[in-house]
Amino acid sequence: MPSVDDWINNPLGIVEGIFAQGTGSPDWEKKVLDYFKDKMEENVSRTWVPSLNDVPLHYLKPNGLVRFRCLVQDMFAPEFYMGVYETVDPTTESKALKCGKYKDVTECAPVDFNSRKAVTSERQTFYCVPIPGESAWVKENYAGSSQARVVPSTSYTPNRQKRSFEEDEEMDSQPQRQRETNAGTPNSADFRGNGDSRRQERGARSSAASPVSSPLDLNFPLPGEQGPACLVKVYEGFESYKVNDTLEVFGILSVDPALSGVNDEKEASSVLDPMETEEEQRAHSPPASLVPRLHVLHIQPLQHNNPLLPPAASEERRAFLSSFLSELDSVRSELLKYLTHVLLGDALAAEYLLLHLISTVYARRDVLPLGKFALNLSGCPHSCPYTERLYQILQQLVTSSYRLGMSLANMNGARLVPRKDYVANRLVSGALQLPSNACLFLDETQLEQGQLDATGVRNITALGNVISWQKVDYDFSYHQMEFPCNINVLVTSEARSLLPSDCRVHLQPQLTPPDLEEYLGAVQAAQLPSQLNKYRTYLSVARELDYNIAEEVTKAVEDDFVDMRKDDPQSISAEDLHRLLVVSRLLSLSFGQTSLSRDTWLRAKNLEMVRMNRIQQQKCANGNEP
Amino acid sequence: MAPKDYLAEKDKCKRFLQEFYSEDDSGKKVFKYGAQLVSLAHREQVALAVDLDDIAEEDPELVESICENAKRYTNLFADAVHELLPEYREREVVAKDALDVYIEHRLMMEQRGRDPADTRDPRNQYPPELMRRFEVYFRPPSTAKPKVVRDVKADCIGHLVTVRGIVTRATEVKPMMAVATYTCDQCGAETYQPIQSPTFMPLIMCPSQECVTNKSGGRLYLQTRGSKFVKFQELRIQEHSDQVPVGNIPRSMTIFARGENTRVAQPGDHVAVSGTFLPLLRTGFRQAVQGLLSETYLEAHSIMLMNKTEDDELGTEDLSEEELRQITEEDFYEKLAGSIAPEIFGHEDVKKALLLLLVGGVEQAPRGMKIRGNINICLMGDPGVAKSQLLSYIDRLAPRSQYTTGRGSSGVGLTAAVMRDPITGEMTLEGGALVLADLGVCCIDEFDKMADADRTAIHEVMEQQTISIAKAGIMTSLNARCSILAAANPAYGRYNPRKTIEQNIQLPAALLSRFDLLWLIQDKPDPDADLRLAQHITYVHQHCRQPPTHFTPIDMKLMRRYISKCKKSQPMVPEALADYITAAYVEMRKEARVSKDTTFTSARTLLSILRLSTALARLRLVDMVEKEDVNEAMRLMEMSKDSLQPDKSSNTRAQRPSDVIFSLLRELASEGGARRGGSGSVVRMAEAEQRCVSRGFTPAQLQAALDEYEELNVWQVNQARTRVTFV
Repeated sequence: MPSVDDWINNPLGIVEGIFAQGTGSPDWEKKVLDYFKDKMEENVSRTWVPSLNDVPLHYLKPNGLVRFRCLVQDMFAPEFYMGVYETVDPTTESKALKCGKYKDVTECAPVDFNSRKAVTSERQTFYCVPIPGESAWVKENYAGSSQARVVPSTSYTPNRQKRSFEEDEEMDSQPQRQRETNAGTPNSADFRGNGDSRRQERGARSSAASPVSSPLDLNFPLPGEQGPACLVKVYEGFESYKVNDTLEVFGILSVDPALSGVNDEKEASSVLDPMETEEEQRAHSPPASLVPRLHVLHIQPLQHNNPLLPPAASEERRAFLSSFLSELDSVRSELLKYLTHVLLGDALAAEYLLLHLISTVYARRDVLPLGKFALNLSGCPHSCPYTERLYQILQQLVTSSYRLGMSLANMNGARLVPRKDYVANRLVSGALQLPSNACLFLDETQLEQGQLDATGVRNITALGNVISWQKVDYDFSYHQMEFPCNINVLVTSEARSLLPSDCRVHLQPQLTPPDLEEYLGAVQAAQLPSQLNKYRTYLSVARELDYNIAEEVTKAVEDDFVDMRKDDPQSISAEDLHRLLVVSRLLSLSFGQTSLSRDTWLRAKNLEMVRMNRIQQQKCANGNEP
Repeated sequence: MAPKDYLAEKDKCKRFLQEFYSEDDSGKKVFKYGAQLVSLAHREQVALAVDLDDIAEEDPELVESICENAKRYTNLFADAVHELLPEYREREVVAKDALDVYIEHRLMMEQRGRDPADTRDPRNQYPPELMRRFEVYFRPPSTAKPKVVRDVKADCIGHLVTVRGIVTRATEVKPMMAVATYTCDQCGAETYQPIQSPTFMPLIMCPSQECVTNKSGGRLYLQTRGSKFVKFQELRIQEHSDQVPVGNIPRSMTIFARGENTRVAQPGDHVAVSGTFLPLLRTGFRQAVQGLLSETYLEAHSIMLMNKTEDDELGTEDLSEEELRQITEEDFYEKLAGSIAPEIFGHEDVKKALLLLLVGGVEQAPRGMKIRGNINICLMGDPGVAKSQLLSYIDRLAPRSQYTTGRGSSGVGLTAAVMRDPITGEMTLEGGALVLADLGVCCIDEFDKMADADRTAIHEVMEQQTISIAKAGIMTSLNARCSILAAANPAYGRYNPRKTIEQNIQLPAALLSRFDLLWLIQDKPDPDADLRLAQHITYVHQHCRQPPTHFTPIDMKLMRRYISKCKKSQPMVPEALADYITAAYVEMRKEARVSKDTTFTSARTLLSILRLSTALARLRLVDMVEKEDVNEAMRLMEMSKDSLQPDKSSNTRAQRPSDVIFSLLRELASEGGARRGGSGSVVRMAEAEQRCVSRGFTPAQLQAALDEYEELNVWQVNQARTRVTFV
């Protein structure tokens, strides 16, 4: 029985062992998979595997087992490789059967290409990037739970560009660490300064690093992202994965320098293959030191990216859920209180924000996505930092998020929609290539008057499509491809947003603190880390609950609708009913109820009514304005 | 499995080429390949395409072996042709180029230097590729289905496959060396090296008898004129968007085109390529890098261009019986219409109209005058009544379509723009949405917000189906044979039924009259409909699917295929129906004159009815328009008009003919009164009758009205019934 270190440090040895045992029998592949699957499903042992997300690449042993939490950004064409091949020893003429799976490079002995025993198989390469917009707390939690023993090599110099930010912190001395945890749960007014210094730090690093770093674009969807990108080679079941899926990949790390396709023999390559342009080579075989290869042994699709929740479908998970459900109500009210404070005492807006945070597209019928709940928070104080702070607060609650300031420059210049680059033959990413349930925070308060150019119009249209249809039309130049997405869009604006939304709440601040900045800082600081963790768990749990509507409630809802229409046909339309059903669904889920009750229905109706009234009022108020 | 006897196979090929014939109409034997061999022999033809369907007639087994081992059989056929060619040569061929001369000389040299007793084949010494000036290609059997790029897997290697896709990249056509010829600097002997791979190692030492025995160390020099080159082009194709599973990136494939297959396709073209799927082995350093990988490519045998309407699907094969039955059940018309945007509740008539738009009417072109067959529809309505959803659904359903808004975002806009090419500086025409939607549907959202320049151009598109350009020295007319599906918002937020359409939409009547159907989608309360709507919505939210009481909507792909099948039939309007239609039209005109209509009834209306009824006939896959079709077409017209009428229920009551006649007479009386100086309110019967009949009322109706109002004591009719006096 191989020891633990063996299967982490030398997984290829195990693969080869199994291959040698079962030579000739076709089920050796299955045995390999089963072996590693067993290992990965044990919760303890999986934490031993070092993660590419928080360990810098050069710490990791080549050909060792690593894991990678990532998003499938692009899919390359399938590759044909020799699953089994025969080598011929030039001196002894003896032949040996070798296994070519999970490897990039052959062993030195010349390969007999005409061997009858060779088996050609197919595998697919995914270009994977770390999950875009992943919140800092998620990274910290994952890194904290990792049990991997990684020994830094002595040659390590600390100013490498490609390591992740968190790793940086871990390397730092204790007091600094303390400071960072403070930043994670800011408790004082110096937070801003702290954040600034952090940004400066980051900015300084990137600017310092840019001259030495290669101009290779790692193709991250969001600007300013860090972390390794990875070429993931999938051997089994690659049809079942889609672009934008979030996965946790366990595989063998391969960083053989021979893989770097950008070779200097330019003329050779141009003669050899007139088709493969230099750009394409760069994109498809970047230096292995920058973009390592990962040969997959096991893939775990991530339903959610919340490290606080035990992995899906385990016994542990069920126990966890049942215990959490008992305190769900109290967590909800606490969270609501917190959000109310954040929204300057507006309880209604807080209620809607909470519903928004647990919303998800749970089904699609043809083009119509069900369950989406894009929220437009109008009436935000114009004093700019408010929306920024609001975003920071949300960032601490959700697993991944991105804030897009809708300034004219941003709209005209940003690349939102992914586009196929036929020269390099890859999908150039855009900011709308987000994992499901990501929170997209659109800050319309930054919009000013001016001219939108063609790109700007396209970007606005793309945002509108995301909100109304939960789809992004990727640009394939000859045609557009529709990719469904599941993004929670929150628009903050001064008045009604120019983008569509499912629901608009006009913010009515109940209190006007003299110093907004200070007030928010204090509110934020009042939350203990344990409380924040509860909120985070709550949001993920509530989103994943099952939900149904009982027959008799359905009947009541239908009758209600007809009655309302009878009284005033203008008051409610089919769209309103859709929204009401979504609101009541979210409301039920937020209380941990898995079916709609009459009370909740009435409550949802009431909630909607208050909201509509407020919008009416606000309209009147605006109308009276000169 | 016993190894194949390829010599025997070659004989088979030879026999096939010599003996295959088909009989033409007069029963004469036509040797299809024999004739081609003759032209090959005379250098009048370069490519010989062997149709595997023909081989299937003679020897189905051979077809199978060819499909599985296409590369080998290409060579076998080439050998066979090569051996046969001298037999087919009928006259001396004039050398066309240097290589021909070379070949001739080489043959002569060979013959001269040959030992007369030696009966060896004279061409043996030369590599066969060098002496050949023809190319052999296979045309795949029609039974073989085109594959999707992602289905071409490792097990297809070596097979003849057909794939479809869109060309995304094409290299320049370059000469590629097929046979390298060297001359020795010592003995002058020629040496040949056939080249199969993308790279080759040049020969250096002369292998000739003379040099080897003398050990003179003769060096070889490459001789360009004596070598043989073929045209070579590399293409890359990408899957069509509809072949890609949801959430996947389209795959691409590399294609090598040689000889006659080059310069067939350009980037952006839709093509079907059949060829041999082969691995590409690299040599040297690159092989070490690629290690265990092998790249693959498709060696093209035939590249066919296709336009999108044809290729879009599996549509080429006919619908199976089963599928046809599934569609042509009873009430299939309702069913098909209901399958359009099933997630949108209600609006049956609108959906029916959209279905007809997809099918389209028959285009007529008597004596050069073109009458469009495409049906244009405009949807109007209050904001949020699913107009855009309907549009986007049609956009997805139609095999060829463009979705745009009136304010087209790009500079090209709806029609076309003249752009300066950034590289060459030439002026080029770039088609706008209407041009790109040629032979399809152009969905224009927010039609009312269209730019003025486009608005003028759209007049032409909607009737003449062309776009004329006279810009920057380019004068041309582009085809824009598309149906227009427009959606417009009312000018004042909500539709005001008391105003005319022009006022509501703020579009000129000239443009509006070009729409065959105008629908106003309104949100009216109706308890029954509301309940059904509520049930529908709650069900959807509950179960995330269609309520079971509804029929199952027809699959989009099936629908597309059915529609394309419908489009093939060209129904006629029979003579007998012409009268009926004319009468109906006259009736409509009359009605339009009488009622205070906000729509127009013009000659265009008549054409619309014809279009709609031919579309209906197409939908039933028949050749003749029937009366029911016309009736349904008129009903749809009526419904579309009704939707534009002010809400009837809000009026006190509908006007009966008598009421209208009364108001007519009242009008007459006041006119007459004015003329006579206000002395009396008397109307002469003859005048009254004339006026009434001109408004489409019968004299009987007039009499009835006279009696009715006389009874009410509103007017009096004199004894002789010649005068009506208002009381």
